[in-house]
Amino acid sequence: MPETEQGNHHLKSRTNGQWLQELRAGGTIQEQAIAELRETLLRGSLYTFHRYAGEVGQLDQDQVLQWAEDCTQEALVAVLKHLADFRGESKFTTWAYKFAINTVLMAIRHERWKSVSLDELEPDHWNGSHSDGSMDRITIRGEVSEILRVAIQEELSDKQRQVIKLIVFDEIPMDVVVERLGTNRNAVYQLLHDARLKLKQRLIQSGFGVAEVLELFSAR
Amino acid sequence: MDEKGLDLFLKRILKTEEHEISCSECFDLVSVYVDRELSGSLPDRAMKRIALHLEQCRACREEYEILRDLVQYESSRQIPSLQDLLRSYHPRHP
Repeated sequence: MPETEQGNHHLKSRTNGQWLQELRAGGTIQEQAIAELRETLLRGSLYTFHRYAGEVGQLDQDQVLQWAEDCTQEALVAVLKHLADFRGESKFTTWAYKFAINTVLMAIRHERWKSVSLDELEPDHWNGSHSDGSMDRITIRGEVSEILRVAIQEELSDKQRQVIKLIVFDEIPMDVVVERLGTNRNAVYQLLHDARLKLKQRLIQSGFGVAEVLELFSAR
Repeated sequence: MDEKGLDLFLKRILKTEEHEISCSECFDLVSVYVDRELSGSLPDRAMKRIALHLEQCRACREEYEILRDLVQYESSRQIPSLQDLLRSYHPRHP
């Protein structure tokens, strides 16, 4: 049997109801269910590390496995803590995997950026010039760029401008920005959303139609 | 920001809606979104709001893409073994 097919063939196949029942059962049934959930989550953790192998430096297999196991334990605790939130609208394993993936990605992002000070990042470089397309298109794209540049400076709040700079221009992962600013992901997303809304409204007030500009910036 | 980055930023601006779901709401529902997407179900209003959030939020989109691919592997019974997954990394130095 090819190695990939051996991945998890020994794990018991469960319905959503069986997962919930056995994870709450107590005794050896619960122990077995938790053990198999852990193995499932470990696979999710390792898959995530596999996808982001380029981000975690020169780690060896033992180090990655240990890191994955640590993340898996954290994800397992989260899954068991949130069992009551599972509504059965998806497969249980799909629902559980996301905890492992989220935990691993946050760990990777934190590790990758831990030595970078946000204060040391270079100031904005707004390149409003465009080289593709007809002269009309280049001109209009230039106008749109300038409107956005001015709107970012004049219409956004300081916090909105800050997160736009960090996340959009500097491409700092949101989790890193959240951690450095001592806030949460929802709050940062709300700042980005409100900023985008202001910029969109500014473009519309300047006479640019949404569909028109989308077409302009999509065409190559 | 280069030209491509500006284009992407502009598209996100233009696709912004008055009310968008939060990252927490997206996390709550992304497993439903993935299973329905892979089963070929047509998106309802809630799923469309998740799709918009995933267009706007890089962090959530990265998590979604891994979840989708992992679930796809699982459903096709091609999920990689632990050894396969560790092959991206070199063995421990002696």
